Amino acid sequence: MQRLVGLETEYGLYVEGKNPSELVFEAAEVVRSYNASTFASPWDYRREDPRKDARGFHVEYLQADPVDAQYDTEGTASACMSAETRSDRVLPNGARLYNDHGHPEYSTPECVSLRELVAHDRAGERIVWSCAQEYMRRTGLKVHIYKNNTDFHGASYGCHEGYLMRRSVPFEQIIRGMMPFFVTRILYAGAGKVGVETPGVFGDVPYQLSQRADFFSVEASVDTLYQRPIINTRDEPHATPSRYRRLHVICGDANMSEYATALKVGTTRLVAEMIETGWQPGIAIRNPVETIRRLSRDPQWKWNVELEDGRTMPAIEVLRLYLREAQSRFAHADTETQWLLMAWESTLDALERDPQQLADSIDWVAKRLLLEQFIESEGVDWKEPIVQSLDLAYHSIDPQDGLFAGLEQMGAVRRVVTDKDIERAMCHPPSSTRAWVRGTLVERYPQAISAITWSRVQLTFGEQAVTLDMHDWVTQRVPQKVQRLAKAHNLTEFVNTFRQLHASRKSEEEGGNQPCSGEQTTD
Amino acid sequence: MQWRADDRLTRTIPSDPITRKGGEEGGPTAPKVSRPDVNDLLKRMKRVDPDQARRYRQRSGE
Repeated sequence: MQRLVGLETEYGLYVEGKNPSELVFEAAEVVRSYNASTFASPWDYRREDPRKDARGFHVEYLQADPVDAQYDTEGTASACMSAETRSDRVLPNGARLYNDHGHPEYSTPECVSLRELVAHDRAGERIVWSCAQEYMRRTGLKVHIYKNNTDFHGASYGCHEGYLMRRSVPFEQIIRGMMPFFVTRILYAGAGKVGVETPGVFGDVPYQLSQRADFFSVEASVDTLYQRPIINTRDEPHATPSRYRRLHVICGDANMSEYATALKVGTTRLVAEMIETGWQPGIAIRNPVETIRRLSRDPQWKWNVELEDGRTMPAIEVLRLYLREAQSRFAHADTETQWLLMAWESTLDALERDPQQLADSIDWVAKRLLLEQFIESEGVDWKEPIVQSLDLAYHSIDPQDGLFAGLEQMGAVRRVVTDKDIERAMCHPPSSTRAWVRGTLVERYPQAISAITWSRVQLTFGEQAVTLDMHDWVTQRVPQKVQRLAKAHNLTEFVNTFRQLHASRKSEEEGGNQPCSGEQTTD
Repeated sequence: MQWRADDRLTRTIPSDPITRKGGEEGGPTAPKVSRPDVNDLLKRMKRVDPDQARRYRQRSGE
């Protein structure tokens, strides 16, 4: 199995002169400002089922935020999210760009390497910003786009992670094994936030580690919009359901730092792999929802957690439990994993010794230092409105105005990829995953695509309707398949080669080899 | 404001994030852009509208 990963980022959108009830319409306009020559649509929503719970049941409905619902009135765009309003665009790099309830959302293509994933995440920033620029040119309205997760007034929006896992691992085992990790990884994955949005419960602090910690109210559930869980149980594998599941992680912050993104995703992938093979950390955190909030707000940076067995343990030691197991398993893995293990360990060491050493790599530290220096220099107070506005500006993806962008231009933050990597990712899909098939079809034959999803591309091909089903294109053999497909000179050859690969897979399975892929080419 | 960016670059973390495969171009860890004067960042911060966060309202997302 390929250990596929992906990121879905909902961007904050501010259009001068527009109120929240107009944002669904404006977000669609921003997405439709994507002005590259090719994209594919429509997205086939019939294949999605967000109410299916990985614990084996369906919920009747997903909870909606009652405060947010006030912005919906009958007949408004958000009250009926039509295909036109969602404005799905599948891009030649295999990514998906669309309007998710008032937020331009960019979902990276499926990646295997961290470097590739980071490049595609950064490519998303540039693509969304180019949309905003085109929207501004067309409308004359000033737009701000923020890669963050809160409006500071109680509305949150996500940066979700997707990790392909084997179906054979029981979901309860995932919940038990991942929970202590998700609660504590905010120490390096948090993007930092000025203020709190649920005051009075765990203390009002001027600055906390995480943008999202305020918004979790249950440990696990299928909901994502309201009463959010630390662990989301949505069962949408986007791969053969009998073999695979997708761990849909909604508790993370959107990171500006490439290093933080690589560390967050890389360590989570390692932990998922360990849990998949039956390993458990052997601890349980007492009241995870309360604990993630307390950790995020701890002004002393002591970061202690209470365990179910009554012990108190430093959060860094919780993370070291995971690190030590990963070191014992993956010490001789590929160079990327070796880098990840070193980075993980040195980050935990620095958090223990002096978190400020991480100001060039971890978002909450970088932003805090920036704000502290402004406060000191300008003689303002943490509670003054400018400080929260500076927090927002840190996340602006406008290269001229964004504060993180300014740090990056100064060379004050670590890079994981080069600008050239990002430019390439804006136009090209990863070459070793099924995203290559999707992106290449979008690039070469967009007119032939009649419907598209992560795992299927429906083509209107001559007199026929052909569906290329890639539900099982998640194995180690995918790079070889891609090489075969890359030799096709036209759509006929492409489809025929795809069929041949399907047929050869069947004969391999019949010959007793390791099962490869169960894609069904329907024509 | 005295920008202390240089103080922050304490290299306790592996400096070559992800080793490139052979044959690819080298792997700089910093962007190849001209470094603006550190005061540019302060100017950038002073340009921020103090009321921007107060006005900023979003739809609840996922």
